[in-house]
Amino acid sequence: MRRMLTVGVGLSTSLVLAGCATNAPQDTFQPKGPNAQMIDDLQKPVFAVAGIIGVIVTVAVLYAIYKFRDRGQPIPEQTHGKPALEITLTIIPALILTVVGVFTFRTVFDLAKTSDTEMIINVTGQQWWWEYDYPVQNEYGITQPIITSGQLVIPVGTKVMLRQTSRDVIHSYWIPALNGKRDAVPGRVHLNRIEADEPGIYAGQCTEFCGLSHANMRMEAVALSKADFAKWVAGQLKPYTPPAENTLAKEGEAVFVNQCARCHQVNGMKRADGTAIIAAPDESVVSGAAPNLSHLMSRNTFAGAMFDLLNTSCRKDVWDADSESFGAKYLQGVSEDCLNQSDLRGWLRNAPEMKPMYVNPELLSSTGGKYRGMPYLGLTESDIEKLVAYLLTLK
Amino acid sequence: MFSTGSKYFFGITLFGALSFAVYMLLIDESAIGATALLGAVAATALLTTLVLSTRDGEAGEAGVAATEDTPTSSMWPLITAAGFVILLAGTITTTAVFLLGVVVLLASLFEWTVLGWSERASSDKAYNASLRKRLLHPIEFPVISAVGLGVIIVAFSRITLAISKDAGAIAFIVIGLAVLGAGVLFSLRPNLKRGIVIGISTVGALGIVSAGIAGAGAGVRDELAEARSEGHYTHQDCGAEKSKYFDKLPLEVVSSTASVIATVEIVNGKLTARAQGIPGDQESITIPRSNPSSVMFVNKDQEEHRLVANLGTKVISGDVKEDVVLCTQMIADGAEQVLILNIPKPSMAGKPYTLTVPGLAGQSIEVIVP
Repeated sequence: MRRMLTVGVGLSTSLVLAGCATNAPQDTFQPKGPNAQMIDDLQKPVFAVAGIIGVIVTVAVLYAIYKFRDRGQPIPEQTHGKPALEITLTIIPALILTVVGVFTFRTVFDLAKTSDTEMIINVTGQQWWWEYDYPVQNEYGITQPIITSGQLVIPVGTKVMLRQTSRDVIHSYWIPALNGKRDAVPGRVHLNRIEADEPGIYAGQCTEFCGLSHANMRMEAVALSKADFAKWVAGQLKPYTPPAENTLAKEGEAVFVNQCARCHQVNGMKRADGTAIIAAPDESVVSGAAPNLSHLMSRNTFAGAMFDLLNTSCRKDVWDADSESFGAKYLQGVSEDCLNQSDLRGWLRNAPEMKPMYVNPELLSSTGGKYRGMPYLGLTESDIEKLVAYLLTLK
Repeated sequence: MFSTGSKYFFGITLFGALSFAVYMLLIDESAIGATALLGAVAATALLTTLVLSTRDGEAGEAGVAATEDTPTSSMWPLITAAGFVILLAGTITTTAVFLLGVVVLLASLFEWTVLGWSERASSDKAYNASLRKRLLHPIEFPVISAVGLGVIIVAFSRITLAISKDAGAIAFIVIGLAVLGAGVLFSLRPNLKRGIVIGISTVGALGIVSAGIAGAGAGVRDELAEARSEGHYTHQDCGAEKSKYFDKLPLEVVSSTASVIATVEIVNGKLTARAQGIPGDQESITIPRSNPSSVMFVNKDQEEHRLVANLGTKVISGDVKEDVVLCTQMIADGAEQVLILNIPKPSMAGKPYTLTVPGLAGQSIEVIVP
């Protein structure tokens, strides 16, 4: 009994202390934008009311259990019906729920407001990564569609509308610091508004179980000042620059064309005869899509934001930057010195070993031979060396 | 050890097994021959086992005292054998036949087992019979009714598909009236002899089933056969003219719960587009690659129109390419339809993807696929 008590107290204390963690990027109680703030303004008072009632009820029950415990005394006289007390105990909770309901409904409708949207981004979920495409919006310098994945880049102080859908199963998009969660459902478009107050990176997580690597389906929203966002847009619209001849990167481009371009698109990449190389992920992947790798090294993550493209020190430098210097550091992208060589090479060497995916060729009869995720490609170390050199040029 | 009968069946089994080996090794490897021989081997092996276990059916020889009680005559052994044959036939024909064999075999074995169990429940035959009924009738009656009804429905559908539309309507009325008449007769004359009721019902059911078999043999009427062979209702005619078949009985309302990525309207000859969540009219709509996306077309023009999606070209063979075009049916003023676009290649792959309305020159909505 004493041991159980000790374990119980220990666990409870650990749980309570866990709430004091400072490095908790997905903490729902640290809003960083007006939508999350609205939720926070609602949930804290409700939590307080519920907590106080919970404490009162618990204390009352414990008191009754202790005070009227069985000591061999005769059973006291039983009384039935006390209308005044019963009505009071019905009206008080009803009033509390009504007050909570009024504020909840008001918040729900405020969060659903879309009429003052300032920017549109289409968000498409699939096993196990998020794709972001920015339709043409000339007011932000987006003169051609931009497509990226893993990291959602937005300007601060801008009401951004995410038009969410899914290519395969139901996913759920949730960046706690910016808004509540919203499902991404195949065949439907769900609207989700986010806005960030300050530049920075805000972490999120798919919150609808979506298969083997659900826990590894992460996302990050990167908020940049409006000036920095314009620079990011300009960077994304830069045309493709092939690597210089007779370099390792050029050899890597050839490996990419042979091994990767079947699924991964790099906009602007052309064959020797000048025709565009168009990936056909619909022929190999169940969801029909694979991340577009144009400007890969302008992102900080890969493989559904599961791995960092930046090594530990460079990543810390970006994540810990103050809001003034954050944009400049993020826009530097990934240099050779900062590249997380270990994870990137490991991924190229054997992706299914690093992230659980349904890619065993012998078990794909139910999908017509199509993969859910990136398969093992059997690349040689030489190929990997060349590919890394090439991928570093995609800025 | 071996009784006379078992030697005979054992010999046949051995011969069948040898024949199967010779057939597979020297003659042919076709599934039909192999299945037939294996089926025969399995059947004779079963008979060998039965004859051995009953010592050629001589109770005295088997050491079992003869009793006056004989088992109830039953159809289940026959149906079990039929199920086995159907199952074997299924291994060389289609999965459906195989599954039918499995169902028949399992059902008959279950019935046979329960029958055998109930016959030994007590020494009172009447009680045993009532026990069996109490256990199996709640299962048998619904299943037999459902199967019977299904057979009648399928037979009737074969009849109406085989004869002309007008004759089908007349047949429907006549048969319906006949069923109604029989029902009225049975209800007005509750004391009608059971034999007469069974006779009328059997003749009626057999008549419909026979006609259904004849209808299935004759095939569908010429008009339907032609429509199937020429793809009248699946081939899309996306031109400005109304198609005789494709535009027949167009759907005019989209479910209010449908989720559409964009709505394209034609209002007084002007084509406009609105994307969900984006205020104002759009000159282009963006849809995700390789993801079925619904675009709703609403006709608010006095003329009938259709929406056409021009989705580039696809290679048929070598240098031969074909335009990829999808369209709605031609719909009248106030009607709406959904066009589902699933585009696997980005816009950069070739000429722009567009939505147009035939007969409406100079107007289009661009479809951008990043």
